[in-house]
Amino acid sequence: MSNTRVSRRQFLNYTLMGVGGFMASGMLMPMIRFAVDPVLEAGAAGDYIPTSQKVSELTEEPVRVDFTYDQVDGWYESEVTGTAWVYKEGDKVVALSPVCKHLGCTVNWAGDSAHPNQFFCPCHAGRYEKNGQNVPGTPPTGPLDEFDVKIEDDLLYLGATKPNTLI
Amino acid sequence: MNWTANDLDLYMQQQEYIDTAIIPLVHIGSGGAMKQSASSAEFLMNLAAFIERQFKGRVVLFPPFSYTDGNDKSRLASEWSASISDMPFKHVFHLTTDPSWSREGIIPDAIWIPSIPLESMDKKLKQSVLEDQVRQIIPVLTARWTSE
Ligand code: FES
Repeated sequence: MSNTRVSRRQFLNYTLMGVGGFMASGMLMPMIRFAVDPVLEAGAAGDYIPTSQKVSELTEEPVRVDFTYDQVDGWYESEVTGTAWVYKEGDKVVALSPVCKHLGCTVNWAGDSAHPNQFFCPCHAGRYEKNGQNVPGTPPTGPLDEFDVKIEDDLLYLGATKPNTLI
Repeated sequence: MNWTANDLDLYMQQQEYIDTAIIPLVHIGSGGAMKQSASSAEFLMNLAAFIERQFKGRVVLFPPFSYTDGNDKSRLASEWSASISDMPFKHVFHLTTDPSWSREGIIPDAIWIPSIPLESMDKKLKQSVLEDQVRQIIPVLTARWTSE
């Protein structure tokens, strides 16, 4: 009978082990998460972000499409707004990144009245053709990036950016 | 460019192109003015981030220069400008929601933007309000870039 009784010492041991185990798991879990998270994130980067742009309303004239997504940087999470220049090329929808290939300013369609059919970078007067090709003699050294696009229920979804495939 | 090590690396290599410092002047109020000053700071920093994104390759956005009612503004201004003039920027734009800088002639060319409380707005509205403001400031910036 006395064998099955839990002595005061045993009881304390068990409880402390329990608490210790709980604490250890509390410390380990975040560590495992940190180790695994980057792997999970790579998958998330391939996600498509919905926009409110109706594909049926697109024309051959590039329009600005804004979208927002959450960005986690370290422990700091913020909501980021992105932009794309979107137009139709025949049946195909083209979405170009507005980030200038020179030093990263935001380019505008027809931003320079002297060149109404080009993208214009206000920072150092960089210019790009409608397909994103940089105009030689201006500072940018390469064409604008392109977004992966997806269409669902007439709404435009934007994916990751990739090097320009139109040129 | 932002005030980060990586962006400043790029700045070091491209100084001829990145020729403008953007310095937000942020008032820290005390007592009853705390919330109002926080709201103004929130607005100004959001706006500054917007401008930075638009003109990333031309500007360096400094961390906010903050001051309280106890600071002697004229002294602050002359100390700041002494340090900034050591840096190779062609243009220095001060952004602030506090009209006294330019009104009292302490920093005569400080760009004053009336503060709009963003805290009660939803994301969409906030975005469009900021865009509106930026659209009004851009001509001011480009005018200075071309005139100096
Ligand atoms: S950043 Fe666009 S031309 Fe320099």
